Formats: sequence, C-alpha cells, structure tokens
Amino acid sequence: MTPWDQFWRNASNGLSSAFLAPPYLWFLGLVPVIVILYLLKLRRTQVVIASTLLWAKTIEDLTANAPFQRLRRNLLLLLQIIVVLFVALALARPFFKLPGTAGQNLCLLIDRSASMQTREGSELRMDVAKTKALDLVAAMQRGDRMMVVTFAETADVLSELTDDRAKLRAAIASIEPVDTRTRLRDAMFVAHSLRLTTPDLHAVIISDGNVADIDEIGPRFFASGRQATDESAASASGGYGLSFLQVGERAENVGIMAMSVREPVPGESGEHQALVSLHNAGTQTSAVTVTLSFNDQPLAVEGVEVGPGEDRELVFAHNALGEGILEAELDSDDALAADDHAWLSLRPAAKLRVLLVADPGATGTYFLQRVLTPDPRVELNTIAPANFAATTDYDLTIFYDAAPAQLPAGTLVFIKALPPVDGLVSEGTIDGPPVIATDAEHPLMRFALNPANVGIRSAVKAALPQGARAIVSTTGSALIADVSRGGQQIVWIAFDHADSDWPLNLSFPLFFQNVLAWVPRSALASENSIDAGLPLTLIAKPEVTTATITGPDGRTESVPLDPLRPVFYSNTQHAGVYTVQLGDVQERFAVNLLDANESAVGPSATLAIGSSELAAERGNVRRNREVWRALIAIALGVLALEWWVFSRRAWM
Amino acid sequence: MTPATSATLLSAEFLQRLERLALLARKSQLGMAKGERKSKRKGSSVEFADYRDYVQGDDLRHVDWNIFGRLESLYLKLFQEQEDLTVHLLIDASRSMGFGTPSKIDLATKLAAAVGYIGLVGYDRVSAESFADGMTHRLAPCRGRAHAGKLLTFLSEVRADGKTALEDSTKSYVLRNRAKGVAVLFSDFLDRKGYEGCLRRLLQSGSDCYAVHVLSREEIDPPIAGDLKLLDSEYAMHVEVSASPSLLKRYKRNLEGFCESIRKYCLARGIGYIFAPSDESLERLTLDALRRGGMFK
Repeated sequence: MTPWDQFWRNASNGLSSAFLAPPYLWFLGLVPVIVILYLLKLRRTQVVIASTLLWAKTIEDLTANAPFQRLRRNLLLLLQIIVVLFVALALARPFFKLPGTAGQNLCLLIDRSASMQTREGSELRMDVAKTKALDLVAAMQRGDRMMVVTFAETADVLSELTDDRAKLRAAIASIEPVDTRTRLRDAMFVAHSLRLTTPDLHAVIISDGNVADIDEIGPRFFASGRQATDESAASASGGYGLSFLQVGERAENVGIMAMSVREPVPGESGEHQALVSLHNAGTQTSAVTVTLSFNDQPLAVEGVEVGPGEDRELVFAHNALGEGILEAELDSDDALAADDHAWLSLRPAAKLRVLLVADPGATGTYFLQRVLTPDPRVELNTIAPANFAATTDYDLTIFYDAAPAQLPAGTLVFIKALPPVDGLVSEGTIDGPPVIATDAEHPLMRFALNPANVGIRSAVKAALPQGARAIVSTTGSALIADVSRGGQQIVWIAFDHADSDWPLNLSFPLFFQNVLAWVPRSALASENSIDAGLPLTLIAKPEVTTATITGPDGRTESVPLDPLRPVFYSNTQHAGVYTVQLGDVQERFAVNLLDANESAVGPSATLAIGSSELAAERGNVRRNREVWRALIAIALGVLALEWWVFSRRAWM
Repeated sequence: MTPATSATLLSAEFLQRLERLALLARKSQLGMAKGERKSKRKGSSVEFADYRDYVQGDDLRHVDWNIFGRLESLYLKLFQEQEDLTVHLLIDASRSMGFGTPSKIDLATKLAAAVGYIGLVGYDRVSAESFADGMTHRLAPCRGRAHAGKLLTFLSEVRADGKTALEDSTKSYVLRNRAKGVAVLFSDFLDRKGYEGCLRRLLQSGSDCYAVHVLSREEIDPPIAGDLKLLDSEYAMHVEVSASPSLLKRYKRNLEGFCESIRKYCLARGIGYIFAPSDESLERLTLDALRRGGMFK
C-alpha cells in the first residue's frame, strides 16, 4: 500500500488519523468566500468600442451573464483557491506513515515487565522484542543515533544516545524480563527530557501494550513548554514522534490475581482461611489445579475450570498455621508462568516498643497511657524527662512537654514541645485556635478522623521547616505537623492535649492508633505480601549493622542498616520469597506479581497515550512524516504564479 | 501645384508619387465630357475605331473618300471618342469609423484623397461624399488638378459621427449621381443592417465598384483583459465579456469570417475588395494593395 493509499485510508477513518491539526481544515471555508468575493467584485470595467456587432456574435452562445459562467476559466480565482487549499491543508498538518528510521535520533523504550515472559513458541516475548530492537539497530544508517531505555516498574537507561552499534547491541542483549508490572511513565519522561535537546527524537515503544499507568501519562508527560504544545497536539491526533511496535501474539493465560489469608483472632482458637483468586484472561475455558502449601508442605489441592474472562476464588481453610510461607501454585500450561505462583509470609504480630517521656503524674501522661496500653502490640514504658537517655531500643518515643537535645532513633511524637528540627522555630502562642483544615491524605488521618470540634486553650505558633506537612491547621499555623526528616518519622503536636477536650473526642484514640500503625515495624508486620518492584523496608536491630538478603533466585546481597531510620531494599523485581538475615534473626518476605494487567498477556492493538491512540505496528517502525513544508512551498509557488498572471494578465 | 491643406492628409512627396498613377476603369463608361479615356461613344479623336455605312445626315467630313474612290460606296470613318471618368468617393463617416489608432476615418479619408487626387490628375471628374445616418457632406464633382485643394480640404474636414447607415446613404448617393465611373466605398462595414444592401445599391449604379474595408488594429487584435463591459459607440448596446484566450480566439474567428464573407460577396459580383488595417502605411496600401486590387495602373 502506498503512502497515499495509507493516507486516504487514515483520512476515511477520521481526520485526526491523517492530520495533526484537523481543526485548521475549517480554513477551507475561505474557498467559497473567495468565490463569493469574486462574484461580488465583478464590477466590469466599461470600455467604449467601435461596435459590439462582432462581440455580440462571439458570445451569443455563451451565457456570459450567468454567475457561474462569469467564473469560468478565471485563472486568478482558480489560483487563489489552490493557494487557500494548500495553506489550509498545510495548517492541518497532514502526515504519512513512512517506514524506516533513517536520519533520526531514535529512543527505544523496551518493555521488560512480567508479561514479556510470555512464551511465544520456543522463545519468550522478551526475546521477540530484543530481536526487533536489534533489527532496528541493524537498520541504522550513517548519522543515526539510538538510545535504549527499559521499563517495567521503573525505567532504566541502558544506553545513552549513541551511534555505537556494538554498545547498543550489548545493551539490548543484556535486557532480562522481571516480574513487575508495566509502568511507562518514567520511560516517557526520559524520552521527553531528551526531546528538549533533540527535537527530532523519535521514540519507539516496543511492548505488548499492557501498561498499568497509561492513564497517567498523557496530561502529565506533556506538561509545559513548546514541545509540550507540539506533543499535546500530536498526541491528540496520532502520536507524532512516537511509535508503538507491538510484540507478542499469545493471549491464553490463567493467573493468580490475589492471595490473602485471614488469621484467627489472637488468643482464640480458629482457622486460617486462605483466599486465592484466579482470572482467565484468554478466550478459552481452562482447567487448572491450585496447590496450596505451607513451608513447602502441601496443604490442599483443588482443580477448577475458569471460563474466558472469568474470575474464580478458592478458599482454603486450615488450622492455625503459625509462622512461615504460604504458597499457592497454579498448575497450568499457559503462556505466562510468572503469575502461576503466589506467596504469603505469615508472621506473628510485631511487638511495638513505645517509650513515653513525660511527667508520670501529669494529666496528659494519663491520657496517653490510656490510649496506648490497651493495644496488645504495645510494650509501653514511661520515663520522666530528666531520666531520658538516647537509645535505639524503642520503635516509638513520645515526648510530652519535653524535648531532648538530639533526636533519638525510631518514630518520634512531640507534644507541647518543639522537636530539635532545623527550621522549626516558635513564634509565640495562639489562644483558642480553631481547627480549620485537616490533611485527609496523610496516613495519620485515616478513618475520616476529623478533630474539627475540638476545643483547644492555646497552641504554640511556629513556622514549619521546608518539606514539613501540616496535618491539622489553624489560622496561620499548624496544630499537628509531620516534620519527618531523612526517613525518620517525626510528628509535632503544637498544643497540650490535657489542656483541650481532645482526649474526650473519638479522634484522639484513633489518631494514636494511626501513629502506631505508621511506625515502620508495625506497617511491615501487617504486610504479608509486597508487590514486585516495590521496596522492602529493613529496620535495624540493636547490634546489627548489616542485613543479608537472599532472593528467590538464591543470590545474596548485603545491605548496611541505619540505626536511626529504616532502610529500603529495592531489588525486588523477581517474585518469590526473600530471606532477610538480621543477625541471628531471620525474616522472610513474600514478593508477588498479582497484577491483572500483566496476566492479560494478549497484545494490545493500540496504546492510548493521553487522548490519542497509537496504532500497533507489527512490522517495521513507521514514523510520521509531515508534508506541510511541501504544501507551503507549493502554495507559495502558486501565489507567485498568481502574482505573475495578475501582473501580466496574459491569461485573463 | 500642391494644395495648402494637403499636408494634413497627404505629403507633397506622396502626392508626387501618386501623379505617376492613373485610375483604371475596368469597363469603358459613358463620360460626361471630353476626356482622356476611351468612351463607348465614337467621336472625334485621332484613334481609328471602325467603319460604317453612310446614312443620310451624316457629316460628309467623316466620309472616307479613299474607300469611295475604290469601291464607289460611301463609308463613314469612325474614331474612338475619349471622355472623362467620374470617380465616386464614398466615405462611411459613422461614429465607429472614429475608433482606432490611427482612426479608421483618418485612413479612409487619406485613401480617398489619394484616389481622388489620382483622378483629378488624370483629368477625371471626382466627387466625394461622407455619410452617416442623417448626415451627408458632399463635394460637388470637380475636374482637374486645380481642384485637388478643394478635394483635400473637404476630406480633411470629414468627421466621424452618427450611426452607420450604409444602404440608405448609398442608395441616396446613387440616385443623385447617375454618372457611371469608378465608385470607391470606404467603410468598416460594421452595420447592424448588413453590408449586402449597400454593395448591391452601389453595384446598381453601373460603376466599377471598389470596397475598401477599413478596420483598426484594436478590432483585429483586441487588447482587452479582465472583466469588461463593452459599450457600443453608436447604439445603446453593450456586451459583457470576461476576456479569456478562448474568447479572443472565438472573436478572431468571427472577425475573419466577417471579412471573408464580404470578400466573397464582392468577388462574386465583380466588386474589388481591399482590406485596409488602419495602422497600415498609406503608401503600401495605395501603391500596393489598391494597385493590386486593380484600381490603378
């Protein structure tokens, strides 16, 4: 099919498929205007001649006075209409899809998410993508440059823009698929930032098109700037400078979408209930067998048929399991193996060591003890401010009307006292501050906690340091603020709760429950599964400075710990069980894919970025070639011809 | 003698060249007076013509006595009579003749002056008349070089005005001037009633007829462009045209057909047809075109 045929076919599918700025086609409305102007301006010049005898005979067969006959063979009008046509078409920016990448700077965005592990015949989908990428490298011509970016949960630049083919081939060959979901946004940012300095950069997305964050890309990616305007217009009408090279064919797949376990209530006898949710993303009914095992010991096996597009949930009940790894395995010969396993790490609830630094006889201390002690997780110690010494033994330290010279380790809460944080300076007090606003997004404000009706006698007014976040605000100051620093969670409460009616309000115990849940150790304890690609939180133990992490593939890695704050380990791109050795304590974490988007391995025919849709290209990469320059050149040529004709009037 | 007014129409040098020419009558005509041209009449010139039998009353001086001596019969010796020729100069002075650069009337009067001058020099009677609808200017027949000034003055005062009325004017002229001779009509023949009636009337006069078709260059190659409203100079009529190459081509084809139809009409009736573009040189027209048309020798 020739580019013209392609163009007309695109145009028949909608103007936005053939033009980058179709609204400008309204300029074609100038054509009838010109014709009307010509009709109006036909005020004929009167010329006296000897006799009209011969002229009358000449035109007697021409109906010269008919309006449209007047326009006949009027070359100037014709030329002007042609000029308007070409200018309007040029403004509408028609484009052709032309194969090849010659003369371009190319940015390859290669998908390596879990769905790229889909088996396509004898090879993986990832291998198909790498072959296509290598083909593009082979098609590079003199002067072409290319860069390689992979994307999954995060984007990685494997090669800068270079014309070194060997380097590019090595970069492409080194790509390995991971077990994470597909997030394209970061990779698009990389391409976009490069476009600022390389305007002719053409980005090629090599993927199966199953992108989790596709809705976030359009409006954010092209946020501002000249390129943004161009791209916005382009993306709204066909993705100028962007191609989607689709890989993959197979679509039959059944995967585990979710796995959870409900533990019995502590202190009571009961059963563990494990829930395994399956989804068939294919088009045919699939019979699968689910095996549930605990610490490699099979617990139950259940066969089930899952219809196309159907979800099935299996519930396995078992007596108390204790601590260990609960694994669900799907026995299915489908396209993708990565979603056939899921793990849960069952751990006992973590004990939270809480230190209350406060005058034991104070009313505020009483209220705090009352809200903290009922929680079974909490091991509460109270100490007078005078006896406080910095220690790393506590997960949470609450300072009530006292502040140490230096911040101790763990999560810290300061009540009625300013924490020694740079930039947090007292500016006096506010009497009877009303609660004006709350930050409902903050984890401490979960459960629709709203202390709006709390009466407060007075509060400290302080300017918050940069990066601090007011959780509860009053006029011109914060009543409760998150002033976390360097990964250490610090909360500052600007008033004495004992001098308010807050303890009598439901929001008071809820707030401190949120504080307890916010502490990393308790947050970690509540997670028995982590999405692949998201970081593991490592919390230091006394005397332990290094954590040794063994991944599901057996590789071991040592991570130095920080006694003051949690450390995040992000190399969790493969699903499975990660073992963390902290001194003599071993903790196991389950990392899972559990993503419906990745399990739907069928390749997508389009990639909807912003308000536009990139049509999948299965063969060569084809880039948009605009022809507005040629159209403008023709229009100028015709305009010059029109001027020449007008000046000569030879053809009139 | 060179008339004082000749400079405005014909130069002295040109007049001198004209003097070498003589009007040619294709058929002998009965003249009004003795002249220098053969007449149908037998008369008293020195050129022998024929014999005839004597009849009673004949002048005995014309009896050929040598014949009588040999044959004893009376024969009268006849000689070729020589009479003058009447040259009729008819000039269409309608308003349409005033167009062109130079104007058609300008060329028509100059040509008429040339023909008339040749006639006067040849001792022929020359009469001239310019006409349009309702207007006629006449020059009474005159003879001899001495009247050349009068002729040129008359012609130099001819102005183009009024509507074309070829047939009526010609009819009127023929009725008023019975003398046969050479009739030369100068016109653009752009008459809405047609040119045929006019030429027919002229032919009925019995004279040798010549039609000099005068057209301006602007009529032959119209320099028009754009959208025009062409107004007729004589009638309250107009034509709207959007000039285009095809229209001009069509017009020229029409014009050629018009000229050709006049030429054929003249040829079929023994009328000499001379086409005279107004921008053509007078000398070439007179010494070449009119001469080749058989008007001069």
